[in-house]
Amino acid sequence: MFIINCPFCGKRDQSEFKAGGEAHIIRPKQPTELSDDEWAEYLFMRKNIKGVQFERWNHVHGCRKWFNIVRDTSNDEIKTVYKMGEDPPKL
Amino acid sequence: MLNYNQALTEEKIYPHLQIKEIKPIMKLIIRGRKREFLSASGKTLNMLLPTKANTFTQNDKLTALWLSIDEWMIFSNETQNKETNIYEIEKLLNKNISKLNLGAITDVTDQFVMINLKGDKIYDLFQTGSPYNFDIFQSKKGVVIQTILAKVDVIVQNQKKNEVNLFVRRSFAQHLFSWMNDSASRL
Repeated sequence: MFIINCPFCGKRDQSEFKAGGEAHIIRPKQPTELSDDEWAEYLFMRKNIKGVQFERWNHVHGCRKWFNIVRDTSNDEIKTVYKMGEDPPKL
Repeated sequence: MLNYNQALTEEKIYPHLQIKEIKPIMKLIIRGRKREFLSASGKTLNMLLPTKANTFTQNDKLTALWLSIDEWMIFSNETQNKETNIYEIEKLLNKNISKLNLGAITDVTDQFVMINLKGDKIYDLFQTGSPYNFDIFQSKKGVVIQTILAKVDVIVQNQKKNEVNLFVRRSFAQHLFSWMNDSASRL
């Protein structure tokens, strides 16, 4: 269990949020031009690393807004939180 | 209200806690982001919508709760006529906001149940089933939060010292009420 600082509501317990997977994955502009492997790469393949990861989260039991966090998956330490559309911080 | 049914049929009174449904209360969700939306809603409601997170504003007839950066719940301070679900303020908001494409108005009168809790054991009760830390909330005026209580989504408004209004979806109201009674009986 850990505390997430929602950029809209403030500090809340993790149980109020839902993880939305890896952040900053860009949808291909022309999916029809991709091979099956390339499409599967975009659709399914995620890094899931042990260490610092950029993730999307949703405050599902609060303001219902999406935002990004930078989290160390090895110890759940949250490095920073930033809104959708903002550039990822340089670490 | 349409097909009006009382969600909670009884009022519970414990030594330091009183729980009852307040009904029928008009409830509207209004959504919008534009500057024009905020000024139009302010003029129509005769009060400004709260733009600071987790706060509410109030006038003599209505209360506006901040739910998100582009979403508010408006509810009537007084009970309404249960024979109708037509509200003058909703008509005005529709005319001044929806029709002008500034935002959206949704009547959630029948969707949400308003439960009033009074007493000095309110936060002891919440503590047994919510991950939210109510320490600062209980001493702060004009605050509202959305959180979970007994795994049910709730909106909690700090009305005044030792009195809160709790909004819960109608389909969860009876379950939450029985959970609160069970928990309150052991406080």
